[in-house]
Formats: sequence, C-alpha cells, structure tokens
Amino acid sequence: MKWPEPVSRTRRLSRTSLSEKAAQRLTIALLLTPAILVILLLFMGGLITGFLRSLGYFPLIGLNDFNFAAYTTIFTDNGFIRSFILTFHIAFTSTLIASILAVASAMLLRPAFRGKRFVQFIFSLNLTIPHLVGAVGVLYLFSGSGLVSRLATGAGLIDSPAGFPAMVNDPWAIGIIIQYVWKEIPFIGVIVLAILLSVGEDYESVARSLGANRWQAFRNVTLPLIMPGVVSASVIVFAFTFGAFEIPWLLGSTFPKALPVLAFESYTDVDLAARPQAMAMAMVIAVMSSLMILAYMKVSRRYVRS
Amino acid sequence: MADTRIEPAGAVAGAVAPEASERRFSWRITGRWVGITGLLAFLVAPIVPLFIWSISFRWFYPAILPTEYSARAWTEVITPHNDVLGVAWNTALIALVVTVFSILLGVPAGRALGLYEFRGKRLVEWMILAPIIVPGLAVVLGIHVLFIRAGLSNSIPGVILVHLVPTLPYMTLVMSGVFANYDTDFELQARSLGASRWATQLHITLPAIFPGVVVGALFAFIISWSQYVLTLLIGGGQVQTLPLLLFGFVRSDPAIAGALSVVFILPAVLVLLLSSRYLSGDNAAVGGIGNI
Amino acid sequence: MTQVTLSGLTKIFDEKSPPAVDQLNLEIESGKLTALLGPSGCGKTTTMKMIAGLLRPTSGDITFNGESILSIPPEDRGAVMVFQNYLLFPYMTIAENIGFGLKMRKVDRKEIRTRVTDMLDLVQLPGFEDRKPRQLSGGQQQRIALARALIVQPNVLLLDEPLSNLDAHLRDEMRELIRRIQTEMAITTVFVTHDQEEAVVLADRIALLFDGRLQQFDVPDAFFESPQSVEIAKFFGGTNFIPGHYEGGEITTAIGRFRAPRSAVDGGDAVLSIRPEAVTLGSDGGNSVMGRIRSHVYVGRYARFRVALGDIEVEAITDPAQVKLFNDGDEVPVRFDSNKIWVIGPASSQP
Repeated sequence: MKWPEPVSRTRRLSRTSLSEKAAQRLTIALLLTPAILVILLLFMGGLITGFLRSLGYFPLIGLNDFNFAAYTTIFTDNGFIRSFILTFHIAFTSTLIASILAVASAMLLRPAFRGKRFVQFIFSLNLTIPHLVGAVGVLYLFSGSGLVSRLATGAGLIDSPAGFPAMVNDPWAIGIIIQYVWKEIPFIGVIVLAILLSVGEDYESVARSLGANRWQAFRNVTLPLIMPGVVSASVIVFAFTFGAFEIPWLLGSTFPKALPVLAFESYTDVDLAARPQAMAMAMVIAVMSSLMILAYMKVSRRYVRS
Repeated sequence: MADTRIEPAGAVAGAVAPEASERRFSWRITGRWVGITGLLAFLVAPIVPLFIWSISFRWFYPAILPTEYSARAWTEVITPHNDVLGVAWNTALIALVVTVFSILLGVPAGRALGLYEFRGKRLVEWMILAPIIVPGLAVVLGIHVLFIRAGLSNSIPGVILVHLVPTLPYMTLVMSGVFANYDTDFELQARSLGASRWATQLHITLPAIFPGVVVGALFAFIISWSQYVLTLLIGGGQVQTLPLLLFGFVRSDPAIAGALSVVFILPAVLVLLLSSRYLSGDNAAVGGIGNI
Repeated sequence: MTQVTLSGLTKIFDEKSPPAVDQLNLEIESGKLTALLGPSGCGKTTTMKMIAGLLRPTSGDITFNGESILSIPPEDRGAVMVFQNYLLFPYMTIAENIGFGLKMRKVDRKEIRTRVTDMLDLVQLPGFEDRKPRQLSGGQQQRIALARALIVQPNVLLLDEPLSNLDAHLRDEMRELIRRIQTEMAITTVFVTHDQEEAVVLADRIALLFDGRLQQFDVPDAFFESPQSVEIAKFFGGTNFIPGHYEGGEITTAIGRFRAPRSAVDGGDAVLSIRPEAVTLGSDGGNSVMGRIRSHVYVGRYARFRVALGDIEVEAITDPAQVKLFNDGDEVPVRFDSNKIWVIGPASSQP
C-alpha cells in the first residue's frame, strides 16, 4: 500500500483521490496509532523485557543464555505456592463479595427517594478516594488497637487488643478483602446503576404482570440485563485485586505474602540473582490473571446467553 | 365445583389484598432505608478514624475518642520546611499531565473504536484493554529495565509515561462508549451550515463528547494521583509523591498519616464535586466501562 | 439564483458492489423545487450529500452556474443540507441552533439575534429562542432545522426526506410551509423522498432514480401520462398493463386492437398502459371490447370496478353513480380513451 503524502484540502477533495474505503482505513489508522504506539512500547515492551529477563537473559552482566531456572526455583518453592493460593483467595473473595453487594446497592439506589443525590454523591465519592487511604483507614479501624477493637472493649466484649480477632496482617487476608470490597462496591455499583437506569423498569413490570414475583423478576429479567456490565466490571476488579501491591503490603501478613509483594521484594533484593525470579513471578501474575479472566469471561458469557 | 372454588378465593384475596400490600409496602421502605444507611456507614467508616487521628494528640487504647486534641499534625503538614504541599503539588502536576496525555491519545482511539467497524478491531481492542487485565506490577518490572536503559528511570517524565499504562485504557474505553452513541451526521450538518473542520470539532464534537471526556479525565486523574508502586519503582525515590509520603507515616505517626490522608482525599473530592453531574444518571460514558 | 448541474456523477463506496450512484446527469433548474425520488437505497441521499460536499464523488462533476464546485469544501459551498432526523444540536438553545451558521460566518451577535427572530417568525414559531431542542415536538424541530438552514441564505437548499418523520396533518402544514418559503425566497431546492405522492404534490420537477441510475426527469404529471418504462409506471402505481404488438399507431393485444397515438416506442413488442380513470364502462364505439364485471367497491367520491377482459383483468375508476347501473357478473362494453392510452416498451427490455 502506498502511503499518501499529506495533501491540501483542495487536493483531498479532487476527483482522483482515495476511494471511500481507503480513506476510512487511513482515518482509523491515524486515530489509533498514537494510543497503540504508547501501549506497544510501554506495555508490550515491558512484558517482553520482563519475559526475557525471567529466562535469565541479561547481556549486561554476561548472561546470554535462556533457561528456566527461575521458573523451576519459584515453582518448587512452597512459599510461592502458598502465596499464589493466598493471592487467588484475595482476588476471588473480594470480587465475589463486592459484585454481589454492588448489585444490591445499585438496586437500592435505583428508585427515586428523598436524599438520593446525597447518597449517590457519597457512593461515587468513594470512587475517587485512593486505595491507599482506604487501606490506612481499614488499618486504623480493624487493627488490634483500632477503633473497632476499642468499641468492642468499651462494650465489654473483649478486655485487651489481644482479644480482638486478627483482621489485619492476618493469614486470611480479611483486612485486605474488607478494603477491596469497600473500594470496589461503588466502582461496580456505578456501572450497574448506569445500566439499570438506561434499561428502565419496564421489562420488570412486564415480568411482574406475567406472574413473576419480585425475586423472580430480578433473577430472570433484571439480572440477565445487567450481567454483561457486572462481568466486565468484575473482570477489572479481579485483575486489579490479583495484581495490586500496596494494599497487601500494608495490610497483608508476613507469611505467606501476596504474589505482587513477593515479586516486588525479590526485584528490589540486594541479591541480583533474585531478579530473574522476580521477573518470573511477574510473568506468572500476568499469565495467570489473564488466563483466569479469559476462563471467567467464557463461562459467564455462556451463562449470560442461556 | 370449579366456580365455587374460585369465588371464595377471589373474595378472600380482594378483602385481604389492600392491608397486606400496605404492610409489605412499608416493610420495603424500611428495608430500603436500613440498607442505604448500612451502605453509607460502611462507605464512610474507614474515613472517620483518619479525621480523628489527624487532630488527636493522645489517643491510647482503649479510649474510644482521643483524650487530648492538637493541631500538631496539621501544622507539620502545612509547615513549608516539610514540603508536604510541594509534594502534593508535584503529585497533582504529574496527574494533570498524565490526564492531558490520556485525553490526547484516548479520545482519538475511542473515536476509532466507537464509530468504525474494521478488520483487526478485536485485536486492537484487546491490545488496548490488556493493561487493565494484566496487573501493573507484572509489567512495571520490565518497564523499569527499559527505562533504565532509556534514561527515563528516576525522573518525572518516566513516571508520567508509566502512569499512562493504566490510565490510557480507561480513557479509551470510556470514549469508545461515548462515540458508540454519537451520530457523526451532526458534524456533517455543521459543515453543511458553514462550519470549518476545526469549528466543527470545537462547536459540535467537543460539547457532545464533553461529559465522557470529563468522566474519563476524572478516572485518569485519580488513577495517576493514587498510583503507588509504579511511582515507587520508576521514580526510584527521586520522584516524591503523596502516596509515597503517606506510606512512610502509616506505622510511625498515625496523626500525620491521618492528616496526609485528608490532604490526599481533598483534590479528588474537589474534582468529583466539579464533575458529579456527569457521573450520576445514565451517562453513556460510565456504562462504557461495562462494554469490555 | 443557482443552477446545479450534475454530469456523469458517480459514487462507488465499495469496488465489490455496484455503484451507489451511476453516471447521473441532471440539470436542476434555478429557483425551482426538484425532487429526487426513488425507493430506499437508490442513491438519492448519496447524491444529495455529494451536492452538499459531504461526500466526494468517485467520478463526474457538479457545477453551480457552470462552475465546478468539487474543490470547494462543504462550509463554503452555500449548499445547505437539512437532515431527515433534524439533528438540532441538543446542548444549544433554539436561538443558538438557528444562529449557528451565521456564527460560523463571524456575523455580528446583534445581527444574528435579529435575524434569528425573523427566522422564527418565518417558520411560525415566534418566541422559541430560549427553548432547548428536546422540549420541541417533531414538527417544531423540523421547522427549526429549516430555519437554521435558511438563515444563511443558501444558494441551494437540500432537504432529506423532509416530511417522512411527521404525522399526516403536520405533513400538509410542512408541505405548504416549504412551498411558500421556497417560492418567496426563490432558492434552488432539492429534496429527497421515497414517497411518490409527496414528490408529485411538492416538486416542480421529479428525478426518478432506481439503483443509482436516473430513470426519468420530468414534470410530475408526465410520470402519470407518459412514463418511460413499465417499472416507472408501476412505481407510481394504479395503472393497467396489457402486453401486445405496436405498429402504425395501433396496438394489437390478446383482447383486441386499440388505437394509440401516444407512445414511447416506434413499434414492435410493447405494453399498453392505461390508468383506471381512463377506462369507461358501458359505452361502446371505437377502442372498446366486451368485459364481465368481477367485483366493485364504492369509495364515496368514486367507485372502483374490476373487469375481466378475456384472461386479463383491468381496473376502472368511475363516477360513484355507476354502482347503481352495473352488477357483478354483468357483461358491459369497456372503452379505452385512445388519447389516454400510453404505449411503453416491453418490461423485459428494461435492465
């Protein structure tokens, strides 16, 4: 294909210029190129570099061979497996709870009621609060000497911080999950609410008039309508919670650590030999989260269709 | 037989229905308010201790409220020699530049994806969405290696570039949703009425997509503003932003961490206040995220 | 006053499919109202967009008063198009919508305001300045769209299906408004429609397009009295067709021989066409054959009979009083007025 040279307006309108289709193709290419370039260079570049490094390829320090040593090391390490399971647990549990509560919240906020604007403002306000701030808040609420623990002491339920169940830096990652659920309910909720409002309540009314009760109408009519939005939003949430670093760094336990924390610590380790392992972990995070998301989308698509 | 069975059933239903429906009605209202109150409480709860900590002086377990209050944390935050406000300004500047670049790159890409069908569209969509699906940490280690070689590590331009990785997909996604609901005939109509290409973009396209741009820009700004690990790694400690600063105080000084958190929340709240009318309701831009 | 000439105008969207507009030649008279008529997908809107400069022709030329305007961008052509769905800019007030074209031409604000008021008077919606488009009904939006186009005093006004989104009674009103404004301002106007009745009522001349090709360009009554092909006659509807052989001013058919001085062909296989209004029942003499009445409908202002002439059935529209004279099953003489018979080439000869 010959790349047309930049032409003046009159030339462009002349009779011998490009056919409609070619002109459209050119427009599309021009519109997309800058964004794709940035993503290719940064994202793909980063991914490929990480992959090469994970195979031990590091010409600067004289490593020119490819090997799977880093992968063998991490996959035989019990700590890594525990980290992987923990990370999956965090992402899965947070996404599931947040999705269910977000749909419930959206249904609560759908009808008109007094003070709706205020409630919606608080709801979307949460979208803008950084994760880190939420994590700090959760820490100050749920740590052994946190506000909830103090309230429990005041109510006579416990008598020392040690009596308060471990909810922060705990092996079950409860604090992390609370933080994610807190932050992602509005994210999924706003999307679902937008769909609910654009769909309207007519389909539900039809279902009700055909004999469905409130729950049946929701289950059989409303839910399938909002499901594509819920799936998309929960995919984003799952990916985020699977790969996020700062929340488990602040609220996570020392063993096992969440995968991103493990990878980051290996990467910043003074021992350069740990770097290929860090890269390998990064690759595992990338591949596993993509695979799980693809599987989830496949399964949920089938569910949405039926 | 059949008649006699239907008659009384109908009569009973007729007699009971008003009362029953009235009772269920009020239950539903109460339930709704309990639900909404619970939701609001849950959403606000983590913010409350931050505010209290920021003005506390002595607050030891098991006191439910501080025993002594003080403005110490706030003085520390505002004192010029600690340069907290300088760091905050730095963070905002980075987020603003990232937002502008996201708009400049994301709006055209969103237009292409929202308006046209073309071969390879699915591939392009997946490519642009990939950074949302693949966690940032998995990519940033490799980017760090690249940036060291390109001399971009430990620098503000490097941090800005790496922030584009998570913001650009959101911007593009939101804009493709907007353009999917956009009728380009409006542009033709304007041209026909005498508007030049440039005037058409300014007077027709821009106002039509503006709500979407606001939502996308809001997302981009907040993603960049709250970015932690990308800044930590690419900035290499040379680029100081608010989240990095906050992290340092979380364990050592809850009062300052509380005050910093409040500072950290403020601009985002301001941005939201300015753009809240675009976020609520049935804005196509918000729904656009649901269209992966 | 602008005369628009299309010569060899062709538009190909996709090399694999036939041209959307194919070698179109058309002289659009200055100051007249011309209809581009045809079924959907016949290329009429494409043609209009090319005149407006919103689409580039693949080949051919468009001239305004003899000068090619292909290199002039749409905003400078002075050919303003009004879209079918009005496309009032939703975030602008009515005044801002109408004044848009003048604002683009950097006209002074005060001047814009007065002219907007004049325009609102012209389209009979005074005082609508500060409303928003969504507060208006479809008919009102259509008038605003018209005012928005007229305010720039276009050389050529292009209307895409101006009446199709309106209710029946609004249609008549709008039709009159367009006609009145067009006559007053004497703007060369082209409008696109798929409705032959609309074209006939409104247009000075009609260009009929099938599949991107011009079929006939004529005054409205010509499409009824002398359509150039069976397809054209069928598009306008209601005509009786009887195949036959044409020679020396007479056409021989399966049911008899008829005198037919008017024809589109010189001779050979042909089709006799006659409109139901020109079929007379109960009078013999020249050009008549015997038929049997199959059925009839009393419509009020007229009556409609279906009459069998051998194997052929024709329709006759008569004075309503005739329902009292004839019963179904009656044998009656049926006469074709020779001056109303129009002989067309056979259908198969048309591509």
